[in-house]
Amino acid sequence: MTTTDTDTDDVYAQLTGIFHDVFDDESIVVTPQLTADDVDEWDSLSHIRLVLAIEKKFGLKFSAAEVGRLKNVGEFVALIRSKLK
Amino acid sequence: MKPEPFTAGPQAQVLALGDLAPGWQAGVEFSVSAQQMRQFAELSGDFNPLHTDDVFARAKGFDGAVVYGALLVAKVSQLIGMQLPGRDSVWASVSLDFRKPLYVGQTAQVEGVVDEVSESTGLVVLKLTLRAAGKVLAKGRAEVVLGR
Repeated sequence: MTTTDTDTDDVYAQLTGIFHDVFDDESIVVTPQLTADDVDEWDSLSHIRLVLAIEKKFGLKFSAAEVGRLKNVGEFVALIRSKLK
Repeated sequence: MKPEPFTAGPQAQVLALGDLAPGWQAGVEFSVSAQQMRQFAELSGDFNPLHTDDVFARAKGFDGAVVYGALLVAKVSQLIGMQLPGRDSVWASVSLDFRKPLYVGQTAQVEGVVDEVSESTGLVVLKLTLRAAGKVLAKGRAEVVLGR
């Protein structure tokens, strides 16, 4: 496994905890393809809670435009990693 | 039948996310009348004598009938919906810790101070304080989503 893979895996591991907490559902499997359509409770308000929890966990701030153009969790992870560099 | 919109009331302030920053504040002064207490009892179905009977409330150690906590929340609604942030806001959460009672006819103030503004989500966090006669009645927090 490369260093990059390890970093990405760590982001997914942390996101998994955040998803389980925000949606109160331990069964959610966080994959790059995951979208709001795949999670029943993922509505506009829980999306806000999710973004805020991610900002807090990673110590990052996103812009509305950055968040608005994300199509799935994989793109969110890429955004997080780009800001962690 | 579709309800008619209420259009006769005062106009709400219109603020955008970019207008707000931590430290911004607004307030509402109010008092609750005996008639409003009766109206709320009918609306809520809460006829607890602590709120409806001065004699009962005094026997319990209060100075008179205690204003419903929900009516304090109602004034928070006025603050948020009309002033801070006003028209384009939707509540995401509210919490209030009640510390002292408010009595019927007593003047009080509810104050909101912007604590956080999230650019990415449009969420605004307000710190809330209710006071009467210089004393804190309640403190709390509200999260408001400001539409773009």
